[in-house]
Amino acid sequence: MRTPPRVLASLVAAGTAVASLALLALVAGASPLDALRSLAAGSLGSRAALGETLVRSTGLVLTAMAGCLALKAGVLNIGLEGQFLAGAAAAAAAGAALPAAPLPTRFLVLAAAAAAGALWVVPAALLAEKREVPEVLSTILLNLVAATAVSGLVRGALRDPAGDYPQSRPLPDAVRLGPLLAGSRATAAFLFAFAAAAGLAILLAATPLGLKLRAIGLSPKAARAIGLPRARLRLLAFAASGALAGLAGGLEVLAVTGRLYDPFSAGVGYSGLAAALLGQAQPVPSAAAALVLAALGAGSSAMQRDTGVPAALASLVPGVVVLTVLAARARAARSAP
Amino acid sequence: MSGFLTVTVLLAAPLLLAAAGELLLERAGSIQIGVEGTMLLGAFTAFAASQRGASPHGALLAAASTGLLAGGAFALFAVAGRADAVLVGTAWNLVGAGATGFGYSLLAGATGSVLEIATLPPVLFGLPAAVLVSFVAPVALELFLTRTRPGLAVAAAGENPLALEALGGSVVFVRTAASLVAGAFAGAGGAVLVLTVSPTFVEGVTAGRGFLALALVVFARWKPLRLVPGALLIGGATALAYRLQAGGATRIPYSVFLALPGLLALAALAAGRGRGGAPKALGTPAP
Repeated sequence: MRTPPRVLASLVAAGTAVASLALLALVAGASPLDALRSLAAGSLGSRAALGETLVRSTGLVLTAMAGCLALKAGVLNIGLEGQFLAGAAAAAAAGAALPAAPLPTRFLVLAAAAAAGALWVVPAALLAEKREVPEVLSTILLNLVAATAVSGLVRGALRDPAGDYPQSRPLPDAVRLGPLLAGSRATAAFLFAFAAAAGLAILLAATPLGLKLRAIGLSPKAARAIGLPRARLRLLAFAASGALAGLAGGLEVLAVTGRLYDPFSAGVGYSGLAAALLGQAQPVPSAAAALVLAALGAGSSAMQRDTGVPAALASLVPGVVVLTVLAARARAARSAP
Repeated sequence: MSGFLTVTVLLAAPLLLAAAGELLLERAGSIQIGVEGTMLLGAFTAFAASQRGASPHGALLAAASTGLLAGGAFALFAVAGRADAVLVGTAWNLVGAGATGFGYSLLAGATGSVLEIATLPPVLFGLPAAVLVSFVAPVALELFLTRTRPGLAVAAAGENPLALEALGGSVVFVRTAASLVAGAFAGAGGAVLVLTVSPTFVEGVTAGRGFLALALVVFARWKPLRLVPGALLIGGATALAYRLQAGGATRIPYSVFLALPGLLALAALAAGRGRGGAPKALGTPAP
């Protein structure tokens, strides 16, 4: 019996990850086993470590879901990073301006973040629809604009006059999400992210809208032939993807940072997209991949402290794994009849 | 030349090099959105080579070689392997940031001290030869693309790959060659950055310049000569931002100047007819 391609891809990914981790540990002059042990202890070994993994997983899972939704509908949204930043900026602006009433303000902050993320992708959607401009180019440009806009906002309109650093005014403590359990930084935000993943899985697999979105992604021609409103569905996919990434940025402000600063993101949008690629754009596997990336990020600082293996392998290893998986998949697609 | 103009030109040079290489690759129909990753690898190679006693020109050469390898890796995955170029580029940025961060930690340790390296010697108007060459590159590229047979093959690979194959050409060969050149140029661009204005390496030293190079190609509507005014504009805006920052003019959010390149490139896309001037087969796999 032939191994199913999806299982094969997971095996390739896991094998590459472990092999490159071990190799990098050796390059850094440490024992691979020690590095792996320290990585596991730093990401799962204690309540604080697990909390750190869950804190990091929120943004990664949500941007991975944004990536899944876009990829499934055949929309190449490389602008998750920019939409994440737009969401964070909107959340910081709204949170500092609104009254310190926890529930309504939290809701409005997140609504503002989702709306900002959705709006940030609209120019790309319109350029793609009206001018056939590849969305890859426009979404990358929007990432650039978002990064500089954040940089300008924290020095200008949103600047906290009380602070020495260029950063926005903090959200009131009553509005910010507190830790769920003592001894851990994790808030309810990660529950929100995993609920979104479950919701997206159901939407794509079991609803008419999900079927339509997948149809325009799989075969635009067939979708047009059966009368699906392709332009409208693509706009919806763009906007919903942007809203999820914006929500990730909003939750980062609400649950983790409490304010906006510069640089605000260390590439969460790009890592989330990598997770979506590893999960083959399927919500549940992609959320699992995002969780693994979060654990890698959380454990890598402990690993650097304990074994001297640089924490930067937390972005090097996923990069190498994604390349390998893409190559394996392209090869499988070509050898298929 | 006054200090401001010199800094403007020095800052424009890395962008011009990276953008010229990327323009060649995109005219051939492929797209590497991981320019940032390759520039970082080039910057780090130049830094590491200098640390080991290489001359500034030796460091530049080493960085271009690393870039060449990066271009080869990209071609292996995205051209010959026919994996989606955009996704390969996304992963490449992670690889570049991760590998250089990893290497820098090993090289510099946790000292946190800034390790300065020697800069390229000036030859004319206070500018090093490599900077002058980077301004010649777009002209050479324009002549190559419009006046030579291999240049026409590049255009064919980007506009009508099937026609090129029908005439006995190889799209994979053309795009691989373009990718190697693009990689070498991006690596050299990263090196020129650390061998002139900021003579050290820190993680993320390129600060988004690889993405600016992508914006520049769009702004230039895939025409090499138009890269020059665009790069000077970004270089000038960055130089002005430095000056305002150094002068303590913190009331002006200087970074607003830096939003210009992205906005101008978006405007160029919106104003252009027919995909904003993009090659017809941009981003499609080789037949």
